[in-house]
Amino acid sequence: MFDLLIQYEWMRNALYAGVIIGFISPLVGVYLVVRRLSLIADALAHVTLSGVAAGLLMQKEVAWFQGVNPLYTGMFFSLAGSMFVEKVRSLYRSYQELAIPILLSGGIGLGVVLISAADGFNVDIAGYLFGSILAVDEGELTLIAGIGILVVLFFLFFYKEMFALSFDEEHAVLTGISRKIINLLFMLVVALVIAASIRVVGILLVSALMTIPVAASLQFTNSFRQTLIWSVVFSQLAVFSGLFAAYYLDWASGGTIVLVSVAILLLILAVKRIVRIFRRNPVS
Amino acid sequence: MKEHVIEIKNLHFSYEEQPVLDGINLVLDRGQFLGLVGPNGSGKSTLIKCVLGMLKPERGEIRLFGQPVRHARLGGRIGYVSQKANSFNLGFPATVKEVVASGLYGQLGLLRRMGRLEWKKVDQAIAKVGLSAFRDRNIGKLSGGQQQRAFIARALVADPDLLILDEPTVGVDAKSTEQFYALLTELHRHHGLTLLLVTHDIGVLSTSVDQVACLNKRLFFHGDPDEFAQREQEILTQAYGHDIQIVSHHHH
Ligand SMILES: Nc1ncnc2c1ncn2[C@@H]1O[C@H](COP(=O)(O)OP(=O)(O)OP(=O)(O)O)[C@@H](O)[C@H]1O
Ligand SMILES: [Mg+2]
Repeated sequence: MFDLLIQYEWMRNALYAGVIIGFISPLVGVYLVVRRLSLIADALAHVTLSGVAAGLLMQKEVAWFQGVNPLYTGMFFSLAGSMFVEKVRSLYRSYQELAIPILLSGGIGLGVVLISAADGFNVDIAGYLFGSILAVDEGELTLIAGIGILVVLFFLFFYKEMFALSFDEEHAVLTGISRKIINLLFMLVVALVIAASIRVVGILLVSALMTIPVAASLQFTNSFRQTLIWSVVFSQLAVFSGLFAAYYLDWASGGTIVLVSVAILLLILAVKRIVRIFRRNPVS
Repeated sequence: MKEHVIEIKNLHFSYEEQPVLDGINLVLDRGQFLGLVGPNGSGKSTLIKCVLGMLKPERGEIRLFGQPVRHARLGGRIGYVSQKANSFNLGFPATVKEVVASGLYGQLGLLRRMGRLEWKKVDQAIAKVGLSAFRDRNIGKLSGGQQQRAFIARALVADPDLLILDEPTVGVDAKSTEQFYALLTELHRHHGLTLLLVTHDIGVLSTSVDQVACLNKRLFFHGDPDEFAQREQEILTQAYGHDIQIVSHHHH
C-alpha cells in the first residue's frame, strides 16, 4: 500500500489533500456546530458552486482567463458570501441563521443560471459537485496546503477568543474580545475551508466533514478540547477510508467519506446505548 | 476619602420612545455591598447594562473607578454575571474549568496562552464557589445552582474590584441561595470586594447588604437597610404600585 504512495504522485497529492482537509474541516466545524451555524457551511458551498460556474464560464469566454483554476473564483465568491453572512448576523441578532436560506437559494440560482448561460462546459461539473480526490493536481494541492496553514494560524492565534465568543458572546465582548473582527475572520476561514474541500468531498457534501465527525464526538466528550481532538480523529478516519475505497473499489470518494462518517456516528450511538443497558442491568 | 467605584449622575435612558431610566443618581463607594430591588421591568438590568457600557445613556454621566464609561470593557476590574447567564446552549462541550478560564481570556490578550499561573487562578476561583469536585464536569450537566456558581467563578477569576450580579439566585434552591449569600458576604467582608446585587429577594436586604436602592424608572430609595426596613411598606407601595406581592421573609 505504501509503495503505492511513493510510486504515484497523484496518490500522494490525494493523500496530502485528504489529510489537510480532514484536519481543518472538523476544526472549523466544531465552532460552527456549537454556534448552531452548521448549515452556513452548506450555504457557502452553494455560493462556491456559483463561483466555480462563473470561473468556468469566464474560461470559455475570456481568453486570458483560461489558465485560472475555477476553484479561485469559487473561493472568491465564498469569501464574499461569508462577509454577507456576518452582515446578516449583525443585522438580525436573534435570527442569525437567516443568512442560510438566502445564500443557499441565491447560490444555487446563480450557479444554475451561469451553467445554462455557458450552454454546457467541457469540464465535468460533477467533479465539483461530488468531489474527485484522485484528480487533485499539484496546483490545487498548493492551494489546499496554503489554506491549511492559514486555518491553523487562525486557531493558534484565536483559540481562546473563539472559545469565549462561541460559549457566551455577550460576556466575551465585555471582557474585551473584539467580536466583529474575530467573527469576520472566522467566517472568512470557513469560506476558505469550503473552497479547499471541494476537490475532496464536493460541494454537496462539504458540510458533512464539518458536522458529522463533530456530532459523533459530541456524543461522549465533556470538554471542548476533547471535542476538537476526537472530531479530527473521526474525520481523518473517514477521509482515509474514502481515499482507499476510491482507489481499490472505484467508489466515489466523497460519498464514501460521508458514509464512513455516518457509520462512525451510528457506531458511537450504538455503543452508548449498549453501555447504558449494561449499566442498568449489570451481568452478575 | 472613599473612592467612588460607581458614580451615576442624572442618567436618562429609553429603548424606543418609552423612557426606562429617568434621572438616576447613585454612588457606590469602594467596599460597599448594594442591593438593588424593583419590580419586573423597572429598569434594573438596563441600569446595569449602562454601567457596563453595553448601552449608551441618552443623557447623564456614568463613571467607573473615576473614569467615564465609554466602551463595553470589563478590563479585569469588573466581574459580571448576567441575568441570562444560564440560558446558554446546554449541549455546549465545555468543562467548568474551561468556562471559568474564559473569564481570563480578554485580559490575557491575543497570542498569550494560559500558563501555570492562570490555571492556578482558575482552580482558586472554582474552589471559592465550592465547585472543586465538579471541575472537569461538563457545564451543561450541572444543576442550575451549580451552573450559576460556575458563572460567578468566571466573574471572579480575573480578580475584579467590583462584582455585578443580576438576579443570580433565580432558580436556585433555598439552601444553595443561603450558601450563595454566605459566599457573597465572605467575598465582601474578607476580600473587600465591592458588590452590586440585583435581587427580588427582599429578605436578603436585611441580612447581607449594607445599602439598598429601590428602582422603578426613578430611584425611590437609596440608603442603609435599617432605614429601608423602617419605611419598607411606604417605599415598596410607591415603587411597586398598590397591590404588591413580593417575596419578603422577615424574621419577626
Ligand atoms: N432590548 C429591549 N428593547 C426594548 N425594550 C426593552 C429592551 N429590554 C428591556 N426593555 C424594556 O425596558 C424596561 C426595563 O427592562 P429591564 O430589563 O431593565 O427590567 P428589569 O428591572 O431588569 O426587570 P426584571 O426584574 O424582569 O429583570 C422594560 O419595560 C422592558 O420592556
Ligand atoms: Mg432584569
